[in-house]
Amino acid sequence: MFLAHVNSLEASIFSSLAILSLLLAFVMLGSHWLRNYVYAFAAESWLIAALSAAVGYFGGYRELYAIAILTALFRGLVLPWLLVRIISHLNVKREMHAVLQPSSSLVVGALLVMFAFVIANYMNHETATAGHVVVLALTIMISLKLLGFLMLSVRNEAISQILGLLVLENGIFLGSQILVPGMPMLIEIVILFDLLIIVACFGMLVRYLVVHAGTTSSRELQRLVG
Amino acid sequence: MVLPDLVLQICQVLCVLLLAPLLQGFILKAEERVQRSRGPSLIQPYRDLWKLFHKELVLPESASWIFWIAPFVAFTAMLIVPILIPVLTDRPLPLSDMGDMLGGGMVLTLGSFAILLAGLDSGNVYGGIGSSRAVMLGILAEPTLILVLVGISLLAKAMLPFVVNHLLLGSLSVYWSPAHVFLILGFFALLLVETDRLPIHSSTHIEIYMIDEARILEYSGPLLALLKWASMMKQFILYIIFCNVFLLPWGMSQLGTPLGQLGSVVTLLLKFLLVALAVVIVETVQSRLRFYRYQEPLAAGFLFAVLAIVSSQLL
Repeated sequence: MFLAHVNSLEASIFSSLAILSLLLAFVMLGSHWLRNYVYAFAAESWLIAALSAAVGYFGGYRELYAIAILTALFRGLVLPWLLVRIISHLNVKREMHAVLQPSSSLVVGALLVMFAFVIANYMNHETATAGHVVVLALTIMISLKLLGFLMLSVRNEAISQILGLLVLENGIFLGSQILVPGMPMLIEIVILFDLLIIVACFGMLVRYLVVHAGTTSSRELQRLVG
Repeated sequence: MVLPDLVLQICQVLCVLLLAPLLQGFILKAEERVQRSRGPSLIQPYRDLWKLFHKELVLPESASWIFWIAPFVAFTAMLIVPILIPVLTDRPLPLSDMGDMLGGGMVLTLGSFAILLAGLDSGNVYGGIGSSRAVMLGILAEPTLILVLVGISLLAKAMLPFVVNHLLLGSLSVYWSPAHVFLILGFFALLLVETDRLPIHSSTHIEIYMIDEARILEYSGPLLALLKWASMMKQFILYIIFCNVFLLPWGMSQLGTPLGQLGSVVTLLLKFLLVALAVVIVETVQSRLRFYRYQEPLAAGFLFAVLAIVSSQLL
C-alpha cells in the first residue's frame, strides 16, 4: 500500500484536497439554489481530479494522470454542463419545499461526519502519518456517501436527487483514489461512462416528467398510473 | 526597562477601554466609504459618548433597581475580560488565572444577561421584543461558541488562551492544520453575530428588526453611554480573541517594555484593520436575513466547529 510510505507534505496535500471536497458537499447541503448545487459539484470534481493527479505523481501511478484528465473533463465539465442545460429548460430555480431546512441539514450533516469518523477510526489499523490519511480518507468517503444519501432523502427536486447520487459516487471515487490507487483503468472509464449515461437518461426523464406530470418534484408524484 | 506585571495588566485594560470606540468608528467609516459616501469621523463614537455623559438622566417610572444596576454590571464585566486574555502581552499577568476560556466566555455573557434583564424590567414593549430576540440568538449561538472553545482547547490540550497563542506561534503545521482553519471560520461566524453585524442584525440603528438597540431603548444620558461603551468594548474584546488567539497570534509584546507595549498596540490596530475590512466586506455584500433564517450562519459555524473537533482528533 503506497500510503505506508507517505510523508507529511504529501499527507497534508491529500488531506486538504479531501477536506475541501467535503466542504463543497456541505455547500450543496446549505444552499437553496439548484445552480449552486451544480457549481459545487463541478468544483468538487476538479478537486478530486487534482487529488488523482497528486496520488499519481507521488505514488508513481502513470495511468492516474489519464484518469485525472478524464475526471476533470467528464465530472468537472460535461456533467455540470448537461445539468445546467436541464436546469435552464426547467422553470424551477430552487428547492421550494425541503423536508429539512438547509440549516438543520447542515447540523444533521455534521452529526453524520462525526458518525463516519467513529467508523473510520474503528476500521483503521495503520499507525502514524499513514494512519491519519487513511482515517481522513475513510471519514470523508463515508461522510460523502452519507451526505449523498441525505440529499437523496430530504430533497424533492429531481435535479437535487441526481446530484445526491453524483455526490455519493464522488465519495466512493475519492476514497478509492487515496486508499486503493491503481484500479484497472478500464473500470474507471466504465464508471465515468455510466455516469454520463445516467445523466443523459435523467435529462430525458425530466423532460418526460415536465410534459406528462407538469412537475419535477417528487412531492407531486404520488399517484400510480397504470 | 521592563514594566512591572501589574502595570502591564492595567495597560491591557486601559487599551480595551480607550481604543474600543475607535474600532467602532473605523467600521462605521469604512462601511460608508465602501458605499462611496463620506461617513462619520473616526472619533465620532468618542464624541457621542462625551455628549451622552453630559446629558440629563431620565428614568422610566416602572423601572426597578435592575434597571439601575445593569449598565454597571455590563461595563464591569467588559473590564474584567481583558484581564483574562492576551491583549498586549503574550504571557499570564497578575489575576489572569482567575478564569480560563470558558470563564471569560461566562463573564462576557453575564454582561449581555444583565442588559437582557434590564430590557424586560421597564415593561416597555420594545425592550421585551429585543430581549426575547436576543435570547433566541443566544440559544443558537452559545452551542457554537462552546464548541469552538472546546475545539481550540482540544488542539492546545489546555483551556488557557495564552497556551493556544504560544502553540500557534510555535508551529506552522498546527496553524495550517484543518482543525485550526475550521475553528477560524466558525469563530468568524460567531464574531459577526455577537458584534451586531449584518447577516442577522440590521445595519441601521432604530428600526423594527432591531435586537440590541431595542433592549436599551429606555436608557438615556450617562447610563446609555455606559451601555454603548460596554457594547463597543465587547466588540473589541471579541476581535482581540479572534486575532490573538485564533487568526493572527503574531506581534505581541513578550518582555513588557514600554516600547514593546506601544508596538503591540500598533500591531493590534493593524490586525483589527484586516478583520474589520473582512467584516465590512460581509456587511456590504450580504443583506439581512429573514427572522426564520437566523439559524443558517450559526448552523454553518456549528458545522465548522464540529468538523474542527473531528479533524483535531486526527492530529
